[in-house]
Amino acid sequence: MSMMSIRNSIAILSAAVLMAGCKAGGDNPGREYAPNMYHSVAYEPLSQITDTDAGRWANSLNNDRGEYYNSNGYNPYKMNMREPAPHTVKRNAYGWLPYHGKNVPKDSVPIVTAGLRSPLDSTAEVVAEGKFLFESYCKHCHGAKGEADGKVSEKVAGVANLRGSSYQNITEGHIFHVITYGAGLMGAHGSQVSPEDRWKIAKYVKALQKQK
Amino acid sequence: MFVVRIGFVHFIPGATWEGQQTKNKFEKMTWARRFVHLRIKGGILNHMMKRLMSCFTNRITSALLFLLIILNAQAQEISTDPAAISAGEALFKADCKTCHRVKEKLIGPALKDVEKRVPSVEWIKNWVRNSAKVIASGDEYANKIYNENAKSQMTAFTGYTDAQIMNVLAYIKAEGAKADVVATAATPAGQGGGGEGVPSGYVNAILVGMVVILIILVVILVLIVNALRRFLDQKQMSEEDREVVNSPISFGSVTSSPGFIFLVVFIVGMIAFKGVIDGLYSIGVQKGYQPKQPIAFSHKIHAGQYEIECKYCHTGVMKGKQANIPSPNICMNCHTQIKSGTITGEGEIAKIYAAVGFDPMTSTYTGVTKPIEWVRIHNLPDLAYFNHSQHVNVGGIACETCHGPIKEMDVVKQYSLLTMGWCIDCHRKTDVNTKGNAYYDKLLELHNSKKPMKVEDIGGLECSKCHY
Ligand code: HEC
Ligand code: HEC
Ligand code: HEC
Ligand code: HEC
Ligand code: HEC
Ligand code: HEC
Ligand code: HEC
Repeated sequence: MSMMSIRNSIAILSAAVLMAGCKAGGDNPGREYAPNMYHSVAYEPLSQITDTDAGRWANSLNNDRGEYYNSNGYNPYKMNMREPAPHTVKRNAYGWLPYHGKNVPKDSVPIVTAGLRSPLDSTAEVVAEGKFLFESYCKHCHGAKGEADGKVSEKVAGVANLRGSSYQNITEGHIFHVITYGAGLMGAHGSQVSPEDRWKIAKYVKALQKQK
Repeated sequence: MFVVRIGFVHFIPGATWEGQQTKNKFEKMTWARRFVHLRIKGGILNHMMKRLMSCFTNRITSALLFLLIILNAQAQEISTDPAAISAGEALFKADCKTCHRVKEKLIGPALKDVEKRVPSVEWIKNWVRNSAKVIASGDEYANKIYNENAKSQMTAFTGYTDAQIMNVLAYIKAEGAKADVVATAATPAGQGGGGEGVPSGYVNAILVGMVVILIILVVILVLIVNALRRFLDQKQMSEEDREVVNSPISFGSVTSSPGFIFLVVFIVGMIAFKGVIDGLYSIGVQKGYQPKQPIAFSHKIHAGQYEIECKYCHTGVMKGKQANIPSPNICMNCHTQIKSGTITGEGEIAKIYAAVGFDPMTSTYTGVTKPIEWVRIHNLPDLAYFNHSQHVNVGGIACETCHGPIKEMDVVKQYSLLTMGWCIDCHRKTDVNTKGNAYYDKLLELHNSKKPMKVEDIGGLECSKCHY
């Protein structure tokens, strides 16, 4: 009898060890059930499984692929995401057309942007939103007050002091251009910040420069 | 000689010179010569004397010229006045520090002794006010340094006055003259930093030592007991004594007793049962998943130490369902310059360059790109819908509430359960952030309740909100 119970407990123990293998941790993503409901049939934007055989055993669609396969074979690297087709124009709520000014040398920016006017009004609301956006996208380099004392400026050299005398007279269009395409040592932030947000930031930078 | 000395006495006073500082040196020079001539003409001298004197005066004038140059240089002399230095320091820190250090090269050259290598102090003034113009004018030195510094353009400080530039130079000179205290002070600090690990090493050594001592003690005790038993066995003993020495409760008899077996089986069974239940509950839950990423990207360094906002990289988080993983062009905003890391050196950052096709030697793009395959960590099943902007932008919930202390993680780990129970639990407990949100004004009015609305009350538990 005692041998039986020992055998039983060994069985339960090994089950426990097996179960413990289901637990996620480190490189092990753990186990799942009902995989057919978990894995997307439609293209997932941020993840793709390029292996056509992945999850073949769970196939419920009667096609010649694994259930988990999720990838667009026609795209470069079989990615699900694509870059927009070249020369297409993105429309936004305001109907603004895209701004072009790539590869303008730093000292020509004022000339190029001379005619560029902000489409937004200087309301307190716009400036407040600009502050929030500035703190999200610019603060770690340019500092909370624009004085080039952000944490990253210890490592990224050449950050401009936006309150310094040489930037006092830059226009909002100039700032818009710099965010979109960068200038000199600053990289282009056009892919991160939408045109509307760029104008808001420009408003805030001008407000910041006037602060004492 | 006498004349000349008087001349000197007249020429030295600073005030007028200070005022004329910006004028051409040679204007002053001609005036000086005329003055000397006048004096000489005033004397009664014959032709020979005149010739001799004119030769003499020529010498004197050239001597004067030389002295005047020195004098003039002295007028352009960089001040050692503490007021000028501290004014210069403020300007330098505000406008120049980001590209220049006094003693080391950054974007621009080290500025120590700059006044000695540039063509003139005047040149510096033109340069600072508009370096592009000086380069465009074909100035040889300007073009030389421009090319030496990878043609990076210095900002034009058009608003700088002469006095301001002189103050900056005063600061550079004072700073350059200081001994390298910083460098020597840094070395012992660095050594101290390396020594931080020593105490914990000691603790481990002590622990190991104690365990070893304990084991040795047990072995010695067992040996002593055995020796004693053998010794007692050889002696004549009463029945009672013998029973005490050779106890019937041996190891074997204890382990085969039914009570003991029950206890062991019970404990093992309970542990195993708990393991099975835990295991079953963990199926489909990825909490704790912490995969190795293709690039050793650390949130602790970026979001923690360097205070980069989450939104800077996870650009979709305020606008859409997906938070987004940053594309490598975002990394390049900083890593065009930061080519090696403190911990991993150049190896890991080189992987970003391979992805965007960047040649760090020449700082140019090759045009050959390939995607980085980050391992996805958080992933809800396809049957559930979760939207970031609803929670972060509308609900005002901090990333850390759901993702845990990301700023302290070198490798990201799934911190929350992400089960349905977890979502529902929060929707039951959390108040809706209605302040300043016109969308909710009408709703609040209709409800007209004193106690705040929970997410539950706006339909946060309805199946179709998350499953459709
Ligand atoms: C990665 C660090 C970094 C971030 C982030 C950054 N900048 Fe810059 N910025 C720089 C550097 C470096 C320069 C100096 C460029 C130069 O003079 O070569 C600069 C210069 C500028 C200039 C002056 C350009 C000129 O015409 O000389 C403006 C305006 C500016 N930044 C605005 C912004 C705004 C607005 C943001 C936020 C959207 C921002 N920057 C984010 C690093 C950064
Ligand atoms: C955006 C970065 C930047 C800023 C800001 C900057 N400089 Fe420069 N500076 C440079 C670069 C780069 C050079 C090298 C020449 C070139 O490439 O144009 C240089 C060169 C110089 C030189 C000539 C150095 C030599 O070795 O001959 C002087 C002097 C100078 N800078 C002074 C200043 C002063 C003073 C300030 C502050 C008011 C300042 N710079 C701010 C980038 C900068
Ligand atoms: C410098 C850019 C950068 C910043 C700033 C940043 N992240 Fe990330 N984050 C990444 C990258 C790249 C990944 C993908 C690699 C990884 O998982 O480590 C990532 C991954 C993540 C993931 C896991 C994604 C998944 O696969 O499930 C979470 C969660 C996350 N970040 C949250 C945050 C939070 C919260 C912050 C702010 C405290 C933040 N991040 C700041 C670049 C950044
Ligand atoms: C806003 C600036 C910034 C951005 C954007 C940025 N980094 Fe960094 N990165 C830094 C700084 C600052 C360091 C620290 C350098 C050091 O330790 O000297 C660093 C260090 C690193 C290191 C080396 C860590 C070490 O100490 O060895 C790696 C790898 C790295 N970054 C990867 C990335 C990746 C991948 C991205 C894009 C998702 C990225 N970084 C985006 C600023 C940035
Ligand atoms: C209410 C909880 C919650 C909050 C708050 C939250 N997240 Fe998430 N996050 C999630 C869940 C759930 C997922 C998985 C989404 C999926 O698989 O569709 C996720 C996924 C992610 C991912 C992986 C990529 C993606 O878009 O699916 C990143 C990166 C991320 N979050 C970053 C952030 C950042 C940065 C913040 C703060 C600005 C944040 N999250 C706030 C719950 C949250
Ligand atoms: C930390 C708390 C928290 C967690 C965890 C959380 N939510 Fe929410 N959720 C909220 C809040 C607060 C709102 C209300 C936002 C608003 O004002 O619209 C909300 C709203 C929603 C809504 C919209 C409800 C409506 O009526 O419009 C959906 C859908 C939703 N959450 C899904 C999820 C899912 C799916 C999960 C789990 C993966 C989750 N939430 C986890 C706090 C949370
Ligand atoms: C706040 C969002 C939310 C609401 C409301 C919600 N669910 Fe869920 N549900 C989820 C999430 C997220 C998961 C996935 C959990 C996981 O992966 O472990 C899930 C999983 C499930 C599953 C299990 C599927 C599986 O494979 O694990 C069932 C069944 C389910 N939900 C039914 C319901 C029903 C019925 C309702 C209405 C009474 C409901 N849900 C309401 C978010 C929600």
